[in-house]
Amino acid sequence: MRLLYIARRFAVFLLIVWLAASLNFFLPRLSGQDPVRTKLLAEAQLGGYVQAGIEDMVQEYNRKFGLDKPLWRQYVTYVGDTMRLDFNYSIANYPRTVRDLIAEALPWTIGLLGMTTLLSFGIGTLLGALLAWPGAPRWMRYVMPPLWALHAIPFFLLGLILMYLLAFQFQLLPIFGGYSPGAAPGFNVKFILDVMAHATLPALSIILVSTGGWALGMRGMMVTTMGEDYVTFAEAKGLKASTIFLRYCVRNAILPQTTALALALGQILSGAVLVEVIFGYPGIGALLFQAIRENDHFLIQGIVFTVIVALGFTTFILDVLYPWLDPRISYQRS
Amino acid sequence: MFRYLKRNPSLAFGIFLMSILAVFLLIGTFRIDPEDARPLSAPALHPPSWDYPFGTDRQGRDLFAAMVVGTPLTLRIGFVAGILGVTIGTVLAFVAGFYRGIVDTAIRGIADIGLTVPGLLILIIIAVSVRGGLTVNQMALVVASLAWLNPTRTIRSQVLTLRERGYVEVARLSGMSGPEIIFFEMIPNLLPYLGATLVSAVSAAILASIGLEVLGLGPLEAPTLGMTLYWVNFNAAIINGWWWWWTAPIVIIVIVFLGLFFMTVGLDEIANPRLRRSI
Amino acid sequence: MSNAPSRRTVLASAASLAAITPFGLATAQQAAVPREKTMILVWSGSREGRWVDYELWNPYSIGSNHQNGANIVYEPLAFYSAFADKTYMWLAESFQFTPDFRQLTIKTRPGISWSDGAPFSAEDVAFTLNSLRDMGPKVKWGVDVRQVVKEAKTTDANTVVIDFLVPSPRFFFFMTYKYDIGVYIVPKHIFEGQDWTTFKHFDLAKGWPISTGPWKVTEASLQQKVFDRRPEWWAAKAGLAPLPVVERTIWLPSVGEQALAQALITNQVDAGFGIQPATFKTIFAGNPKITTHTGQKPPYGYVDWWPISLYVNNDVKPFDDKDVRWALSYYIDRGVLIDVGYLGASQTSSLPMPAYPPLQPYFDAVKDLLEKHNTLEFNPKKGDALLTGKGWKKDGEGFWAKDGSRIKVDIIGFGAAGPAMGPLLTEMLKRRGIESAFSMPPDFDDRFQKGQFVGSIYGHGGAINEPYNMLRLYQGRTEAVPGAHLVNFSHWKNADFDKITDEMFAVDPNDKARMIPLFRKAMEIWIPELPDIQLLQNFHRIPWNTTYWKNWPTAENAYVNGASWHLTYPIVLWNLKQA
Repeated sequence: MRLLYIARRFAVFLLIVWLAASLNFFLPRLSGQDPVRTKLLAEAQLGGYVQAGIEDMVQEYNRKFGLDKPLWRQYVTYVGDTMRLDFNYSIANYPRTVRDLIAEALPWTIGLLGMTTLLSFGIGTLLGALLAWPGAPRWMRYVMPPLWALHAIPFFLLGLILMYLLAFQFQLLPIFGGYSPGAAPGFNVKFILDVMAHATLPALSIILVSTGGWALGMRGMMVTTMGEDYVTFAEAKGLKASTIFLRYCVRNAILPQTTALALALGQILSGAVLVEVIFGYPGIGALLFQAIRENDHFLIQGIVFTVIVALGFTTFILDVLYPWLDPRISYQRS
Repeated sequence: MFRYLKRNPSLAFGIFLMSILAVFLLIGTFRIDPEDARPLSAPALHPPSWDYPFGTDRQGRDLFAAMVVGTPLTLRIGFVAGILGVTIGTVLAFVAGFYRGIVDTAIRGIADIGLTVPGLLILIIIAVSVRGGLTVNQMALVVASLAWLNPTRTIRSQVLTLRERGYVEVARLSGMSGPEIIFFEMIPNLLPYLGATLVSAVSAAILASIGLEVLGLGPLEAPTLGMTLYWVNFNAAIINGWWWWWTAPIVIIVIVFLGLFFMTVGLDEIANPRLRRSI
Repeated sequence: MSNAPSRRTVLASAASLAAITPFGLATAQQAAVPREKTMILVWSGSREGRWVDYELWNPYSIGSNHQNGANIVYEPLAFYSAFADKTYMWLAESFQFTPDFRQLTIKTRPGISWSDGAPFSAEDVAFTLNSLRDMGPKVKWGVDVRQVVKEAKTTDANTVVIDFLVPSPRFFFFMTYKYDIGVYIVPKHIFEGQDWTTFKHFDLAKGWPISTGPWKVTEASLQQKVFDRRPEWWAAKAGLAPLPVVERTIWLPSVGEQALAQALITNQVDAGFGIQPATFKTIFAGNPKITTHTGQKPPYGYVDWWPISLYVNNDVKPFDDKDVRWALSYYIDRGVLIDVGYLGASQTSSLPMPAYPPLQPYFDAVKDLLEKHNTLEFNPKKGDALLTGKGWKKDGEGFWAKDGSRIKVDIIGFGAAGPAMGPLLTEMLKRRGIESAFSMPPDFDDRFQKGQFVGSIYGHGGAINEPYNMLRLYQGRTEAVPGAHLVNFSHWKNADFDKITDEMFAVDPNDKARMIPLFRKAMEIWIPELPDIQLLQNFHRIPWNTTYWKNWPTAENAYVNGASWHLTYPIVLWNLKQA
């Protein structure tokens, strides 16, 4: 039974990946723009002089990148290459390959988003649970309203405000980038501190905004759970308050909360794109934005594919874990 | 009505915030000449003064006028996209939830897959593919293209629940047709929920449109809130110390989002009385 | 400038670090060079804070851009400085055309060797030219060379003889390094047999890229490019130029204007890229030692060779009518563009040529024409008169219309000039009754090149010291240069003008006695037609930090255009003195 469930979920995952990959192949091409031409012309324009023969050059390069072949040929090549994780060269960043670019940017985004999501989810959930609990300390109630207020605004907006206050007005933190220009990356203390300093503002923007949302959701779940009969029964039995709190209420309330996490991943990434662009943070979001602006087909395809696979995979894992967390849900089709 | 509001502080607060905005817009419309929201109508980069309560920006727009003209534009994008999204979503949700079967699987599948993908990315790709700049109305349509995903899913689960209710059984037995049941029995009961979904969708649509605009993919000429922030970023207004330029749009955006958020919470409480609790 | 980070960020960053793959470092062991002997600059030709092309040191390969560092590695036959109107004969000692300009003899300088010890000779020059001719559209300058060069032969170690297909009096100047135009001479013994489109010429262990110049690449990574001085540089030994005082120059990628401003204020950087006028006030306030070509006063920079106009597509009605074009010109107040668009830091441009000393005689030759038809005049009444004269009337909403349709100029723009002037232009036109809108499409270059636009804000990469290349920008058809690609962005067509331009093609640019009258004849056609509407000069507003280095090329000492991305940058590098 369990295997069938996992297999079915996995099949759905594969379907999502294939659909997304195909869509992702066609969308950039729909715009009808020629990325090679755009790149060459942009370079020519940098020098203020369009050299003779640029049309021929465009054709040469199109040939080299395989963009002159009929659409179906390109599609087949694309699917084949993608299976081998070969995303070709990035047109706009030639001679870097798409795989290299993604490999460079991904750790930054995973680090930033991964940590901030886990932290805000963890802190927010705990906070929300405590807020619903009548026995929680009073001062907690005053934490809630500001977090509520913050959570309604977009990440990047808070980012702008923090940038002004902390980076410009009071000059506590750097404004821009992942690390100081010219700093050589390495596992030395200096670089690590540099990265942390630069990551603080983007991280803060996301954490301060997200925490309120999770707290709110958890509070709602707790309210529902606390009204259940088994909790009343546990209280009647005289179990310790902390036991009831943790093993009965939180344990159950956290399940829908986890689903919400899975669903929210896509949104979090959307918000992160703007944060990265505003702060010049060298993650996937900023890379994708640049790629889209330059209509760099291969880079767009590579990134969107990676993102969708990553999200799909995470959702798949969560889907598989969920029944394990909540035995009430069976592996069989309801 | 007021008595109810007293018991539902979230809704009250939300409505209160939106009314502040409405009053601002109302007074503003009478006090300003909409032409002043265009460039070259005032000396550039002046801090707030009596003549220019919100100051002026780099291209000589009177920011007070720009906010009065631009805020309704942003709100319009949100409302159009939100209403379109919820309408389409409701239709799809009912078709899926009420009639079930293959249609349900298909609609639910598409909605699920669509929600997995970060919406902003798709919007960016669409916005970039459109030839020429986007107008305000085109932006609304672009945002609406993805705005139906969430409403479809959430309304569908409500439909699934309602379907099993007693009065629906009764209606079916008494010979009402499917659409009649939907319109006369289910929708009236879903109204608070639809309201909450609508407000939530509008909020999400405004967020998406502001996101696109800040990235420079919106209507370049319109003084919408997002475009104003785009120019702020482009001209490095933060490090150049022109604080008035970005304070006004940020304050207004915060009011809009907070207002819509509290209204959603309030409407949620009406729809699901178990959530009622004082803050 | 970091504060003790919060616990959250410690955790947040720990994970990101744990996953960081080592960035492509290609380090050679470097000796420590003190800060005051190092010149650090930031150039925005990089991609989002990274040198994605750190391995590309062959300027002809795909994806290569000489502005990113190759410009100081490959030396030219000659340098040209427009401001000083001076030619520095360099790898070439002299050159001589035959009277019919069908053959060019170049004498290269003896005693020069590449950094790997191999001698430089005329063979390298001939090899470069013949290879370019053979590769044609595959590489940059290939087609330009193929169109005119039949063959380049060496008659001895220091003599190259080039035979042309058509008379080419401008060919040596074309090869000379100026601004972004010039032919890079490559070492035959390294490039022979390589595929120029993919050959990287990068291997620090072998000392690649090799160079005849004073700069050796000692490190190239995503984060920085480091060039160290070569004391054995031939030009210093020959006394042609001083050995640079700068011992090391580091080129950093850009993360944006704000970051550059910060870096300048804190003296982490000595030179930057062109930035917007508004940012200068902040920079000067933060660090009084920052200067520009015009010191701390507007326009904060020097005139670049790319004057900017409002192009209108002459193929689109009603812009095929010169009266409509002139009306548009009369409706635009350039003063507003300068004051509001550039905060006063700009200048007007009456013709699509930069106001450089060698071009002054040409401006003088048409002064009377410009007085009669003032391309910069702001005079709405004249504009109104022209339009009513052609049957246009203002409709109910005050817009000019004829036969039911209005005059509509949809303007596309890009970069910095677009947003600076776009909204202002549309506003000014709207106020005079011309419908207008502005956008910055991502495929701007594509649309502009293909002619898929109505209005556009763009510049002119044409004349530097003589006007032929400017005239060529408007040529519709040519017979003098078979197979030539004519840009003609404005899509204006005039057969007489084409003939005059073709005539000028074969005239020696130094022969002013023939050049000036020809130019005047061309302008007698061009000016009353006004194919595109003249606006402003383009400026390179580059900030320089005088904390460590002085003798930057400022207005008082304008020895060359100071852009680090231009091919003439080595001149700046050997002129810098310690502060």
